[in-house]
Amino acid sequence: MNILSIITFLPLVGALVILALPKEKERSVQIVALLCSGLSLILSGALFFFFNRQTADMQFVERMPWIPSINVQYFLGVDGLSYPLILLTTLMTFVSLIASLNIKNRIKEYFFWFLILEVGMLGVFASLDLVLFYVFWEITLVPMYFLIGIWGGPKKEYAAIKFFLYTLTGSVFMLLGILAVYFKSSPHTFDLLILLQSHPTWERSFQILIFLAFYLGFAVKVPAFPFHTWLPLAHVEAPTAVSVVLAAVLLKMGVYGIMRVSYGMLPLGFQWFLPYLVIIAVINIIYGALCAMAQTDMKKMVAYSSINHMGYCLLGIAGLTVTGFSGAVLEMVNHGLITGALFLLVGVIYDRTHTRDIGAFGGLAAKVPVYAGLMSLACFASLGLPGLAGFWGELLCFIGAFPRWKLYTGVSVIGLLVTTAFFLRMLEKVFLGPLNEKWKDLADVDARELCALLPLVALTIYLGIYPKPALDLINATVGHMAGLFK
Amino acid sequence: MQNLGLLAPEIALSLLGLGLMLADILAPAKSSKLLYHFAWVAAAVALALIARGLSVSGGLPLPVSGGLWVVDPMSQFFKLAVLLSVIMTVMLCLEYGQLPPAQAGTFCALLIFSTVGMMLLVSATDMLLVFVALELISISSFVLTGFERRNRKSNEGAIKYFLFGAFSSAIMVYGISLYYGATGTTRLVDPQSAGLWLPALQTKSPVFTLAMLFILLGFGFKAAMAPMHFWVPDAYEGAPLPVAAFLSVAPKIATIGVLARVYMVLVPAASLGFTTLLALLAMLTMTVGNTVALFQDNVKRLLAYSSIAQAGYILIGIVAGTALGIQGVLLYSLVYVAMNLGAFAVVQAVGDNGSRDGLGSYELAAFDGLAQRSLSLALFMTAFLLSLAGLPPLAGFIGKFYLFAAALSAGRSASGGISPAVFYGLAVVGVLNSVVSVYYYMKIAYHMFFLPANSGKGERLPSKDGGPLPAALHAGPYLYGCLAVALAGVLYFGIYPDPLIANVQLSVPHLP
Repeated sequence: MNILSIITFLPLVGALVILALPKEKERSVQIVALLCSGLSLILSGALFFFFNRQTADMQFVERMPWIPSINVQYFLGVDGLSYPLILLTTLMTFVSLIASLNIKNRIKEYFFWFLILEVGMLGVFASLDLVLFYVFWEITLVPMYFLIGIWGGPKKEYAAIKFFLYTLTGSVFMLLGILAVYFKSSPHTFDLLILLQSHPTWERSFQILIFLAFYLGFAVKVPAFPFHTWLPLAHVEAPTAVSVVLAAVLLKMGVYGIMRVSYGMLPLGFQWFLPYLVIIAVINIIYGALCAMAQTDMKKMVAYSSINHMGYCLLGIAGLTVTGFSGAVLEMVNHGLITGALFLLVGVIYDRTHTRDIGAFGGLAAKVPVYAGLMSLACFASLGLPGLAGFWGELLCFIGAFPRWKLYTGVSVIGLLVTTAFFLRMLEKVFLGPLNEKWKDLADVDARELCALLPLVALTIYLGIYPKPALDLINATVGHMAGLFK
Repeated sequence: MQNLGLLAPEIALSLLGLGLMLADILAPAKSSKLLYHFAWVAAAVALALIARGLSVSGGLPLPVSGGLWVVDPMSQFFKLAVLLSVIMTVMLCLEYGQLPPAQAGTFCALLIFSTVGMMLLVSATDMLLVFVALELISISSFVLTGFERRNRKSNEGAIKYFLFGAFSSAIMVYGISLYYGATGTTRLVDPQSAGLWLPALQTKSPVFTLAMLFILLGFGFKAAMAPMHFWVPDAYEGAPLPVAAFLSVAPKIATIGVLARVYMVLVPAASLGFTTLLALLAMLTMTVGNTVALFQDNVKRLLAYSSIAQAGYILIGIVAGTALGIQGVLLYSLVYVAMNLGAFAVVQAVGDNGSRDGLGSYELAAFDGLAQRSLSLALFMTAFLLSLAGLPPLAGFIGKFYLFAAALSAGRSASGGISPAVFYGLAVVGVLNSVVSVYYYMKIAYHMFFLPANSGKGERLPSKDGGPLPAALHAGPYLYGCLAVALAGVLYFGIYPDPLIANVQLSVPHLP
C-alpha cells in the first residue's frame, strides 16, 4: 500500500481536476477541493490506528529509484516526529479550505494553488531523501506567493515577493548543503537515513559549514531571529485561511528541518551552534512577545506571538533531552491548532468590520458571546493556561531545557508573562467594557466559521486535558533522538 | 571521402534551403504558409535521420572527412536540440503576423541555413570549419533579425548585431591565425586517432594561449557572454518575435556545444590556465544578465537579459570541466530550449495581435491581467518562468542541480594550482543569482496574476463586467502545439529526468 503517496498526492489530483473545470463552476471547484483534502485527512487520520508507537523506525516506508544516475530515490516514510505534523497539515488544510469558502473572486485559481500548497507541505514531512525533500520544500513557495499576492491585503505584492525571495535565499544554500553532503558521503547518496549514520567520519569544520547552510534554509522558515522580518508582513497581508496554514504548518517545516536534518545529520555542527541556538530561542521568545505587545493590529499581534512560540520550540530542542524534544514537537502541533484558531477568529471579525484595530472595539462579549468565548479560549490556550493544549508543550520545553540552560530558561519565563499580558489586554479591549455603538449590529459566528473552528477548539481542549495520545505518538522517536547526542 | 553518409542530414537540409529560395520566386504569396510547413517537416526529417543515425552508430565517435568533422553522441545531442528549436520556431512563425508573406521562402531558407551552420558547428573539429559554420549562422541571423523591414527597431537591431558580429568574427579569425601559427594546422584533432587532440606540447606556448583566448572571445560574442553581450537586448527587441526566440536558443546552445568540445574535451581550459578566467566570465555573465534584467519593462529585453544569465549558468559546467559538468551542460542546453522557447511563445501570444499593423506590444503592461484573459497561457508562462528560475519540480531545476553539483564536485577534486574556492564561489554566485532572477521572473507573474487586465490603451478596466474587454489573444493551434511540446519537456524532464540523463551520459565516455 502506498498510503503515504496517496495522502500526499490526492490534493494534486484535486488540483488537476480543478484546473480542468471551467471557472464558472465555482461550487464544483469547492467540492473537489474539500473532497480531495478531506480524503487526505481521513487517510492520514486512519494511520493513527496503524501507527506503531513502540518504535523509532520509519513506518509506511515507500522506496523506489527516482533518478538512479545520481542515486536519488523516491523515499517516503514517517516516524513520531513527522507523523503528527502530517496529521496537523491535513487537518489544518481542510479547516482552511472550509474557511476559504467565502472567497469570492477567482475561486478556481485559489483552490488550485491551495491544493498544490498542501502537496508541498505533506511531501516535506514525508520525504526521506534530501532531493525529494528539497523539491517539496520549494513547491510550497510558488502557491504561497500567489495566494498572498492575489487574495491578500493592501501590500500583498510586496509581502508575496518578500516571502518568496527570503525563503528562496535560505533554501538555495540548503541546496548547496545537500550537494555537499552528497559528495562527502561514500557511496554518494541523498538517502537521509544513511546520511544520519554517516556523520562520524565527517570532520568538524565541514559539519559546521554545512550546518550553517542548512540552518539558513530552516531559520528563515522558522522564523528565527534575525530572519523573521518577512513573517509579520506575510501574515498580515495574507488572506485568513492562508495565514492559518502559514502559521500552523509552514513555520513547522523549519523546526522540523532542524530536528530531522541538522540535529541528526550534523551533530558536531549542531553542538557548535548550540550556545547560539539557545540565545536565538530566547530572543525569539522575548522579542517576539514584546513586539506582539506593541501591536494594535490583532493579526500582527498573533503573527508576532508565532515568533514567540517558535522560540519555545527552539528552546526545547536546545535542551537536548527527551522532554525538550517532546515539548518541541508537541508545541509545534499545539501552536498549529491554537494559532490556526486565532487567525480564523481574527478573520471572522475582520470580515464583518473590516478592521483589526484592537482599539476599535469594546464590549463585544455581550453582542457576540460565542465568538467571545471561542476567542478567549484560543487566547488562553495560546498563553499557556493549564488545562488547554498550549500549556503542555510550553511546560515540556521549559522542563526539557532547564537542566542544560538554567539561566536562559529562567529569562525566557519573562516571555510567558508578556504573552499573558498582551492576550489579556487584547481580550479586555475587544470584549469587555461598554459596547462600542458602531458594532451594535455585529453578527456572531456563522455555520461555516463554526465548522472550521470547532475541530480546532475541541482538539485544544482535549489535548489540554489528556495529551497522552499525542505524546504516545512522539515518545519513541524523540527518545531515540535524544539518545543520539553524547 | 569516408562516411559521407553521416553528413546526409546536413546535405539534405542545405539542398532544401536552396529549394525554398527558389520556391519563393515560384510560389504565390497566398500559399506562403505552405513553405513554413515545408521547412518544419524538413527539419523534422533531419531530426529523424540523426536520431536513427544515433542508434546505428551505437554512440561511437565517427570521424568524417579526415578529421574535419566528427559525429559523436555529444554533437548529435546538440543537433537534436538545435533541430527541435528550429521546428518550434517555425511553428511560432506560422502564427506570427508581422512577417511579409511574399518572402516566406527566403525567411525559411535563412532559418534552415543557419540551422545547417549550427549542425556543422557542433560537429566541427577544425578551426576553419568552425569559422565557416559560425559565419553561416551569423549572416543568416543578421538578415533574419532585420526581416521586419518597416519596423525601425528591427533595422536597428540587425545593424547592431551585424557590427558586433563582424567585430567578433575578426577577433576569431585573428585567433585562428595565431592557432595556425602555433600548431601548423587548423585541425583540433589528430586525423589518425580521432577524438583526441594531437600534440599537447604547444599548450605551453604563449602564442597558443593567446590564440585560444581570442577564439574564446569570439565564441563569447556568439554565446552572449558578458562583457560581450551588448548586442543581445537590441537585436532581440528588434527581431521578429520567432527570430528572437530562435536566436536566444539555437545559436547559443550551438556555441555552447562547440565551447564544450573545444574547452572541455580537446583543449581543456584547465590545461590552458583558463579555469579562473572562465569562472569569472561565468560569474559576470550571470550577474550582469540578472541584475540588468531587473530593470526591464519590455518583455523581449527582459528575456534577452535572462538568456544572457542562462548562458552564465551553463558556463558553470564548462568551468567544472568534469564528466558531471558535461552532463550538466548538455542537460541544461536541451531543457533551456524547451523553457525559453516556451516563454517566447507565450510572449508572442500576448504581444502579437496577428495583423501586420506593427501595433503588437511587448511591454510588461501587455501582460496585465493575463490570468483572467487566459488562465492557461498564464499558467504556461508561470511554468516556463519558474523553470528558468530553476525551481523544482521543473526541468530547469534538474539542469541547475547538475551544474551546481558539477561545480561542487570539481571543487572537491580541484588540483593543479586551481583553488577549490573558485568552484565553490561559482556555486554560491550561481545560487544567489537564481534568487535574484526570481524577482524579475515573478515580476511577469505579478503582471499576469496580480494586476487587472488592460483595455489595450493603457486604461484599466473599470470593473469585472463593464468596459471594453482587452483584445482577444492571438494564439492558434501551432502556437499551442509549440507550448504543449515545451511544457511537456519542462514537466517530463523535471519529474522524470532519467531517460534524458541516460542519453547525456553517452557523451561522457568519449572524453579524455
